[in-house]
Amino acid sequence: MSDQRVFARYKANEIVTDLQNFGVKKFKSNTTRRKNALRKIIANLTLGNYGEMSLLFPELLKFWQIEDDLEVKRICHEYIRVMGVLKPQQAKEALPFIMDDFKSRDGKLQMLALRTLVLVPLREFSDQAFDCIISLVNHKAPPEDVTRMAIYALLDLDEIDHERVLGLSSILHEIVRLQSSPPEVVVAALHTLYSVHEKNANMEPFELSLDLAFNMLELLPELNEWNKATVLEILTTSVVPQHYLDANEMIELTLPYLQQVNTYVVLNTFKFIMYLLNYVDVIKESLAEKLSNSVIALLDKPPELQFLVLRNVILLLLSRESSLLRLDISYFFIEYNDPIYIKDTKLECLYLLADKETLPRILEELEQYATDIDIQMSRKSVRAIGNLAVKLDEDSVHDCVAVLLDLLEFGVDYVVQEIMSVFRNILRKYPNNFKKNVKELVKHTEVVQEPESKNAMIWIITQYSDIIPNYLDLFKVFSSNMFNETLEVQFSILNSATKFFIRCPTKETEELCMDLLKGCTDQENNPDLRDKAFMYWRLLSLTKMSGTSSALTFEALKSVVDGELPLIEMNTKLDPTVLEELELNIGTIVSIYLKPVSHIFRLNKTKLLPPSPVLNSNKDLLPVVDNSFSPTGANRNRQNSESQSSTKSRRTAMMDDYDKPAEKINQLKGKRKSSSNNPSKLSRKPSTLLRKLSMKRPFS
Amino acid sequence: MISGVLVYSSRGELILNKFFKNSLKRSISDIFRVQVINNLDVRSPVLTLGSTTFHHIRSRRGDNMWLVTITRSNANSAAIWEFLYKLDSVMNAYRLDREEALKEEFMIVHEMLDIMLGGNGIPIDTELNSVIAQMSVKPVRNVLESPDSIDMLSSTSSPSSVGGELHFPKFLKKRSSSFLGQGDSHSDFSDGNKISWRPKGIIHKKDEVFLYVNERMNILVSRDGSILKSYVDGTIDITTHLNGTPVCRFGLNDSLGMQSEDQKNWLSQQDEHSHNDFENKNCFPKAAAGSVLLEDCKFHECVSIEKFNKNHIIEFVPPDGSMELMKYHVRDNINLPFKITPIVAHSTRDNEVDYRITLKSLFPGKLCAKDVILHIPVPPSTVDCKISVSNGNCKFVPEENAMIWRFNKFNGLTENTLSAVTVSTSDTTQLSLQQWTRPPMSLDFEVMMFSNSGLVVRYFTISSRDSKHRAVKWIKYISKSGSYEVRY
Repeated sequence: MSDQRVFARYKANEIVTDLQNFGVKKFKSNTTRRKNALRKIIANLTLGNYGEMSLLFPELLKFWQIEDDLEVKRICHEYIRVMGVLKPQQAKEALPFIMDDFKSRDGKLQMLALRTLVLVPLREFSDQAFDCIISLVNHKAPPEDVTRMAIYALLDLDEIDHERVLGLSSILHEIVRLQSSPPEVVVAALHTLYSVHEKNANMEPFELSLDLAFNMLELLPELNEWNKATVLEILTTSVVPQHYLDANEMIELTLPYLQQVNTYVVLNTFKFIMYLLNYVDVIKESLAEKLSNSVIALLDKPPELQFLVLRNVILLLLSRESSLLRLDISYFFIEYNDPIYIKDTKLECLYLLADKETLPRILEELEQYATDIDIQMSRKSVRAIGNLAVKLDEDSVHDCVAVLLDLLEFGVDYVVQEIMSVFRNILRKYPNNFKKNVKELVKHTEVVQEPESKNAMIWIITQYSDIIPNYLDLFKVFSSNMFNETLEVQFSILNSATKFFIRCPTKETEELCMDLLKGCTDQENNPDLRDKAFMYWRLLSLTKMSGTSSALTFEALKSVVDGELPLIEMNTKLDPTVLEELELNIGTIVSIYLKPVSHIFRLNKTKLLPPSPVLNSNKDLLPVVDNSFSPTGANRNRQNSESQSSTKSRRTAMMDDYDKPAEKINQLKGKRKSSSNNPSKLSRKPSTLLRKLSMKRPFS
Repeated sequence: MISGVLVYSSRGELILNKFFKNSLKRSISDIFRVQVINNLDVRSPVLTLGSTTFHHIRSRRGDNMWLVTITRSNANSAAIWEFLYKLDSVMNAYRLDREEALKEEFMIVHEMLDIMLGGNGIPIDTELNSVIAQMSVKPVRNVLESPDSIDMLSSTSSPSSVGGELHFPKFLKKRSSSFLGQGDSHSDFSDGNKISWRPKGIIHKKDEVFLYVNERMNILVSRDGSILKSYVDGTIDITTHLNGTPVCRFGLNDSLGMQSEDQKNWLSQQDEHSHNDFENKNCFPKAAAGSVLLEDCKFHECVSIEKFNKNHIIEFVPPDGSMELMKYHVRDNINLPFKITPIVAHSTRDNEVDYRITLKSLFPGKLCAKDVILHIPVPPSTVDCKISVSNGNCKFVPEENAMIWRFNKFNGLTENTLSAVTVSTSDTTQLSLQQWTRPPMSLDFEVMMFSNSGLVVRYFTISSRDSKHRAVKWIKYISKSGSYEVRY
């Protein structure tokens, strides 16, 4: 029986038989068998077999009394936690047993009991939980981990009875203030206070006095990594520097933690320093250097953490006019085996990092990615090239366009379509620079399939109709099929037809335009399209009447239908208040989505920079200075040597520079052979057979 | 912070769920299964639906199980992913990374989670050795010794078996005594302080320390042979079996450390021993002469960071067993172990692609790389390749659209050549070959006792009150490929 699989669906009575068979305590072998039967209960809870398992409640209570094995206890508690939610009334019967466990001397049991008390949503349970916590906190010297557990349990209880937790908060304040308890307990108390403030909308943000903050910072070396990170997380926004010196001193104290292995610690240190930088008078160059290096080093983490770091790099690049980070672009070059989410994010980083100096290298990379196997990736890189052309100045745009034209020759249809879409933007910004390329573009009229690129193509044909001789033929590719198009394409077809007619009112254009207007007003069901067609029609007929009574001059008509377009700009910047909030949330979920907290988690509070006499109003004005004072004097030499080497050696490094003469050169021998194993071997066999036979023939 | 932890088999069967909030229902596990596990096009390791967020990792060991957390507010993603990876390594230590094992012993994971996550699902302690100390069940002994990298210790479970491979610089012994004296006077770790990662009174029969310098070399070479990026990510792992509460100290040849005053002192003394100190000179052509610029170092929590920043000595009281002590990152003056020169051309007739590749090792002739594999992509329309190689073994693997050129052993300073031509399907056009995306070639390798960055451990000392005899110290350098890619 016992060699039955644990992890399978069972009926309640099957387990009951198991338990009764091995219930007798006499035999030692029965203990493990009994345990196996009990494990089956938890496995079935995982499988969702609640109906059957709820029948086992009385059986379980029996065992609770007689067993002192920790695993059995753990199973019992886990059972109550799950069942307590489903059948609260039944769970009440277990309360005395839980309390028995709590009263035992064993710390582990006490913690189990406390957790169960907190997790069962029943008044009786939470009342008991409060009593237990009070008795623990007031007790002289309970084990540290139990006290810590008790303090954290208050966080769960806060959701049930906020008032009562508030009543206890003075005890927690006392623990933080006195700092006489073990450091873990102090951190737990601090964390609980902070979280309670964060969770309740009606409470002020948590504040910590400067003295206590410094005490906590000095406690850091004694804490383990999780507690370190927690303290740094809490200190961000809850301690307010009143003087530049406060901020600087705190930065000095936290800097070493940028060198921890744990990403949680590093990013929280980073966040705390970024927060403090709002309260300093100058930023030292060496600090910027340190921050950048620590970010780069985090890119060696597993992909998920790398992804998080990259998302935060985007955030930091966006946050200031000239970013604090000094990052070499090569770290953001995509590797073939990167997961897709990392490729995407690196691409965005490259886009943000591009400036005049780095553009050639970045373009080369982007061109490479544009031919990637992943279609989305390829599209995104084309899009990035196009956006760079619009974002950067006029000198750079020619380089970008040259790359795009190269890619156009590559000729894969989704690349072509994407190029059309971005080319429209480039032409809008620089209407006269690329006239000679337009002919090349319109060659691909037949290829474009997606609404966006169709739109772009129609726009290009219309805009440059004066230099395209056969523009009407090209246009008819789209207009002949107008009623199968998406709404946006229909709009632009209608608009373009009208433009053609106004620009050059020949018989052909008139026919084309009137056909389309008729079609739209007679056959089309979409009111927006119909209305738009009617509008154009009315406009045309108003001017057409000509003579003196014309309600609309031709110029007016032209400016309405074919007016000047506003200049386009690439706006990558986020709203400054959003950025401020995101910077205070480095490393959290919202830093991945780059959205304000309130958009994703409605119940969470928005973090704000607390006011202080030394708060900088505009951080872009903050000077970054090459400091003469630095904790390690050698640092400066290092930066210099590094910046030199990075500008010189990195640009020109070639594979051949590393070359060395080989001591041994293996030469190719023999001919190229087919490597696929099946055909070659089989094909050779009959022939060798044949030869042998022919050799033997003379003798036979 | 973490409201619930879920573990799924690689096929998506829920094996374990543990909730830290009573508002969670089991049905939430179905949502993740449908949205992520059964979804073939997942483009993010994090999923937020409403205010519920799932973070997940796929274990890279055992049965590649899914480890998932559920959170209900704006939790810290860094904390969560770090926690998941720690959970993965603790589960691995207990050999619960296999589906069948976990289905029997899932209660062990429940206990683990009770220890690692405090009230309200806040991670409190994830250090492997410390968690094991608190657990009622201990893992099988030899697992404890090599917790997270099987490859690290697989060949070195006992020093005697590895004799030839392990390197044991002579000067380590000579230097240790002089550092012992000054060490105790300014040690941070007086015995009175409680050190959370090391319980008191550890006893071993034999005092032993193994230091592993692991490096992964990353490089990206463009078509014209210029190096687009190159860097080395290194870790120093340590396995200690030491009595009592020892203080370990070692120094590297990093350029900052070499400048400080006492180091110069050391260098002058060093000259006296120079004839036998740099026995390993051949292995470290640049390093032995100069120093390495460490871009950034990250340390395990047991290392005193203050001390490192002040005089570049790495000083620590190690937890018993194995752990990753530090990580570093190097960009300048890297020793490239291999040079790949590819010539790939379309021949006009028959729509073939012609390959001529030389692969040359640049590390010293005495050394030898193992498991060298060059992955050479071919166009998707390829049905066969005609290959000739000067050494090694090369095969066309249709499933991967690539030729795989494999060497069990590759000696230093040796050049090998491959010449090959592809055979395409009859309907292949010239155009489709031109439109082929040409994914980069990539190289895998492992070189023992070679350091890509040139990093050398200059000395290593252990001072301990309880130890009666001198500890045995072993150092091993392993250079591996990270992402070694060449475009063509």
